[in-house]
Formats: sequence, C-alpha cells, structure tokens
Amino acid sequence: MLGNGIILECRDLRKTYGDRVAVNGVSFSIRRGETYGLLGPNGAGKTTTISMICGLLERDGGTVVVDGKPMSPSAVDAKAVIGYVPQDLAIYPDLSARENLRFFGQLYGLSGKTLSARVDEVLEVIGLADRANDRADSFSGGMKRRLNIGIGMLHSPRLLVLDEPTVGVDPQSRNAILDTVDTLGGQGIAVLYTTQYMEEAERLCDRVGIIDEGRLKAEGTRRELVALVGQRDRIALSAQGDLEATARAVSALDGVEQVNRHEGGLDLFVKDARRMLPQLLSTVANAGASVSAVEVVEPNLEAVFLHLTGKALRD
Amino acid sequence: MKALAIAATGVRRLFRDRQAAFFTFVFPLIMIVLIGIAFGDEDTARLGVVAVDSGQLGEELVSALEQTEGLEIRRFDNEDDWREAIERGEVEAGVLIPPGYDSQLHSGGQVDLPFLLRPDGLGDTLWLPVQATVEQQAELIRAALFAQSERGISFDDALAQATELRQNLPQVTVNFTIAGEPERALGRFDTGVAQQLLLFMFLTSLSASDHLILSRQLGVSRRMLSTPTAVRSIVFGETLGRFAVAMIQGLFIVLASIVLFGVDWGDPVAAGVIVVLFALVGTGAGMLLGTLLKTPQQAAAIGVFLGLGLAALGGCMVPLEVFPETMRKVAHITPHAWALDAFGMLLRRHGTLADIRPEMVLLAAYAALLLFAATWRFRRSIAG
Ligand SMILES: Nc1ncnc2c1ncn2[C@@H]1O[C@H](COP(=O)(O)OP(=O)(O)OP(=O)(O)O)[C@@H](O)[C@H]1O
Ligand SMILES: [Mg+2]
Repeated sequence: MLGNGIILECRDLRKTYGDRVAVNGVSFSIRRGETYGLLGPNGAGKTTTISMICGLLERDGGTVVVDGKPMSPSAVDAKAVIGYVPQDLAIYPDLSARENLRFFGQLYGLSGKTLSARVDEVLEVIGLADRANDRADSFSGGMKRRLNIGIGMLHSPRLLVLDEPTVGVDPQSRNAILDTVDTLGGQGIAVLYTTQYMEEAERLCDRVGIIDEGRLKAEGTRRELVALVGQRDRIALSAQGDLEATARAVSALDGVEQVNRHEGGLDLFVKDARRMLPQLLSTVANAGASVSAVEVVEPNLEAVFLHLTGKALRD
Repeated sequence: MKALAIAATGVRRLFRDRQAAFFTFVFPLIMIVLIGIAFGDEDTARLGVVAVDSGQLGEELVSALEQTEGLEIRRFDNEDDWREAIERGEVEAGVLIPPGYDSQLHSGGQVDLPFLLRPDGLGDTLWLPVQATVEQQAELIRAALFAQSERGISFDDALAQATELRQNLPQVTVNFTIAGEPERALGRFDTGVAQQLLLFMFLTSLSASDHLILSRQLGVSRRMLSTPTAVRSIVFGETLGRFAVAMIQGLFIVLASIVLFGVDWGDPVAAGVIVVLFALVGTGAGMLLGTLLKTPQQAAAIGVFLGLGLAALGGCMVPLEVFPETMRKVAHITPHAWALDAFGMLLRRHGTLADIRPEMVLLAAYAALLLFAATWRFRRSIAG
C-alpha cells in the first residue's frame, strides 16, 4: 500500500483500435477520498481509459496502480479495491433488484449476514428499498440506473468508478444520483467520475481532467482550470447609497481587477470571488452603501473546454 | 465459491423464464405422450416368421397366421436374418417355427415356439393374436392325437377328420406352449422416450446459448470481470450453470417417464452415465454456439435448426434401425446416435456400463472437445 495517500495512479495509458488511437498517453492520479472528474465529449476516450483502469481491457501501453497493486485483467486483488459502474446498464433484467445486488455482492466476496446487510443498506441508499423484489425490467430508466450504480457500491470500495452515470436520466433521478455520489465522496470514498456535463463535474469533483481525442488536455481544480484560461469571477452587487465612493473603496482591494458602476449596483471582476466576499461586503458597508443582493458568477468549465480544444463539449 | 453463485444465477434465470421452462420440462413430456399414442394407433403390425423344414403343420401355422386380422407376415430363411430384422425394427416381433415341428407334433411331443419381440411396445400387442392362432392349431392337433390313440387311425386321417369335426371334439391336454419369453417386455413409450430425452436435452442446451449472448450484450459478463473474480471462475460458473440446467432437465424427463409412463431405463448407473455425458456434450455445444453467434435471435433460430436437425440425423425422430446402412454410418457423426446405441443396449440387451464403454468413450470425447473449444472462446470473449 502506498503511504502517499494515492489510491489510483495511471501513467501514460495507451490504447489503439486498428488505426484509431482511442487513448493516447493519459496520466493522472487520484488521492484517497478525492472525487476526480474526467470531462470530455463523445469519443474522447473516457470509457476506454476507465476500462483499462478497471482491468477490463488489455492496455497497449502504460501502467495502472490501484492502492499500490498493479492492475491487469487478471489482478483480482486490485479489482477488489474498485467498484465499477459501467456506462451502459449491466444488470439482469429478469432478476429483481435484490437478486441483482446479491449476485454481484457474492462476486465482490460478500456472503452471509454481511451480504444481506449491505444489500439492504444499498437498496436504501439508491431509493429502491420498496421495489427490492420487483424485476429490474419493470423499473423506469432512472431506477435501473440507480440499481446499476448500487451494484458498484456494495462492497464499500475505496475507489468508485462511475462512467457517465446520468446519461439518459430524468432530472429527478439525475439529482438523486448526484446526491448519492456527493454523499459517498463526503464519506471518504475516492470517486472517478466521467461526464460530458460540466455542471456535474463542477458540482461533484475536487479535481477535473479535461480529456479530448484520447489526450488529457488539462487538469486541476475548477479554479486552477479557470485560471488557466485567464477568466475572472464576476460579482454582481445590488446596492444603494454612495456608489461612487463604494466603487473607489473596493477598487483599492487586493484581487479586484475591474469595477463597473451602474444604476442600482456594481459589477466587479475579481480573482477569487468566494474568498474575498466577506472582505468585500464589509468594505461596501464601511463606504456607506447598503447591499440588497449579491450574485457570484464564476466562469465555467465549458469556457475552459472551449478555450482548450476550440470546440464545445456537446453540440 | 463464486462459480457456484454464477451457476445458481444461470439456473434461477432459466426457471424464471416461463417459456423456456415450458419447453424444457413440459413440452418433452407432451411429445412423449403424443408419440406413444401415435405408435399405439398403428393397426397392422409386422410379424417375422421362420419356418424352415417345419413340415406341413409348420406351413399350415404360417398360413393361419397370414389370415389373422391385423398381422402382416414376413418370412425369413434363417434365424439370424429374422433376429436382426426384429432388432432393427423391420418387424415388430417374430415367431420361430423350428425344424421338425411337424414330425415332433406327429409323435405327440411338445414343441416350443420362440416368440421374439422388439422392445418398443408394439411387439407385445402381437403376443395375443399369435398365441390365439397357435392355440387354434394346437386344438386340432390335440383332437387328432386323441382320435389317433382312441380309434387307432393314422394321425393324418385323424387330423383331417378332426378338422371337419372340430366343434364336437373333447379337450385334451397337450403341452403345447409358446416358449421363449420376450427378451424384454417394454411399454409403448420405452424407446421413444430415450429419443425424446436426447432431442430435448440437446435442443435446450443449444437454445440456452442465447442467455450467454444476452449476458454479453447486457455487459453483465464484463461487469463480472470487473469484480475480484478470476476469469476461470466466471468460465467455470457459466459452464456449470448450463450443465446443471441440462442435468435437471434430463433427470426430470427420466424420472417423470418412470413415474408417469412406467418406462424402464435399464441399468440405472449406466443410464445415469449416458445422461451425464450427453448433458456435457450439450453444454459444450450450447456454449460454443453462444460464443460464435452475435444475437440471441440467431441463437434461437440456429439452435432450433441444429437441435432438430442433428436429432433427426441421429435417429431421434425415426429409429436408426430403419436407416439404410450408409445413412446409419452418417448418423454416427452425431452424439445422439451414440447415446441411442447405448440406451438401446441397456433397454434391449440388459446391458451394463461395461457393454456401452465404446459409446461412452466417444461421448466423453465429444464433450471434452466441445467444452474445450467453448471455454476457450468464452474466455476470449470476456477477457479479450
Ligand atoms: N471496441 C472498439 N473498437 C473500435 N473502436 C473503439 C472501440 N471502443 C472505442 N472505440 C473508439 O475509441 C474512441 C474512444 O471511445 P470511448 O468509448 O472511450 O469514448 P468516450 O469518451 O467514452 O465516449 P462517450 O462519451 O460517447 O461514451 C472512439 O473513437 C471510439 O470510436
Ligand atoms: Mg463512454
């Protein structure tokens, strides 16, 4: 086991199908308890990368180490660390939710009381406790997705790998899924999450890797990525009082780059809106203005992706 | 053990599928009943007769048999041809009128008429008419013997008179018995049931290949590979599940046929070995098909085509015995033909495991070959 707190380390992953290079030298690592997002459009190589990480696909090159154990299709002990949730549903439609969970639970090495207890817990988490004994093919799309995810969490993995878990899901189920992942992330489980949706990556992930055409274009926290593009946060203040004096006062603050005054308030462009908000508000108050509303608009990963690849995430 | 979990899930999914369960368990029994009834309905039965050097009385018995309602007589020149014809089902049963029949009866001796019947249920329906016809002749002979001894006239004259006066003659006890117990007294279902057993076990195994394709399409096989489960456990578990289904079906048909139709399968150990080996052959063939084909629809169509085709070729629809010599050779490219030969040995000859060793070696070879190819391809299909 690595002492450095790294749960997953991939180095220079490569995979070629015929003459199509699907993954072309991808390297990244995930710390224990960290939620890491792979953000990229269709065909970027997300699934191929994940398949190599989970030992489902023979690599053409590179290394994968999970919790200190080298991964390969035959590396049973490395696989025990991971809970893998495939992009496409992988459940038996003719078995009930409980039977599906029990079956895969056994493959994850659970048995007896532990198995039953974990199955009940997971049914609760994925919100299928009241439909536990219904066949999966009687479920809605969202319920099937939740079951698909539940299977991956059964053995309380140290690394949960989710491949686009919200594709084709209604908004309600999607929210439930995101909440679940958020909760798991909060419980100290490391998560590798792929998506084409920048809102999901922004909401869930501590760090994001931007992947396109088999290459990792950039990597970091949302802030670091945004900084890469050179964009700034915008703060819209609705305020009354001496706006001119207020504008002068806030312009002098460290980190404020631009202030626009208009009827009913100020628009500020700052380096790090969240960090400077308290200071900003007290400065405004001292300058004699009263604030009625504050809106923080942070530049998003969509813009970053556009900047890095010259194309939109989805068309 | 994880392989057991995989196998158990395979079996559970089969039972969950109502249609598959019907075709696996209920349909074969229906077919056995229908075929049993169809056999029973046939109205003329063929009787093989050997009457060489059996004299005047022998010939008279033959013509009496020829005039018996519902009997078609075929004559044979020697006992070997006669016996083979019965075994091959060219005739349902046979009577051997021994040489010296005539003279032995003249001298008042007892004659045994061996009656041989084919163990497929039709032969025993011939027993009664044959016995009745023979009894008629016996009656005349008894009368003639009586006349001969009471009045001192020659046997031939007495017989001629007896034939005229038959109604008025007293009964005399002459030990005229039909001897030669049938080789095996079997019910109408008995061989048909082995054919149906093999046909349906193989058919079910082949059409179950769609489950394998579906698991692949569903991504479930891949998902199994993502768990800490060794590839060999996945392969073994899937194989075991299919084998278990074949065995459950095979044992169900065998037991149901015993309980419902009173079928006799002969030596239980030997019959068990045939069922196990044939289940392995079916498992291998089904899994191989599942790894070769792309869609469940293909598997269903090709499975039924191959399942019925090989069964027909292998003698599960029309008995192998009626195939011409070359066709019978060709039939033995199928495992069905070997298994049927083995069952035939148990059913007709009181055979034991030792008697069917060559057939079992062949079936084992089929099973090994198919399972090897199937597991190799299956392993590649999931683990790349
Ligand atoms: N089995 C395969 N055979 C041939 N090409 C493949 C195969 N799997 C993936 N590819 C190709 O590799 C590239 C990457 O595919 P991959 O599935 O990894 O993308 P992705 O990022 O997961 O896309 P999506 O968001 O659509 O799921 C694509 O160009 C795809 O066509
Ligand atoms: Mg994908």
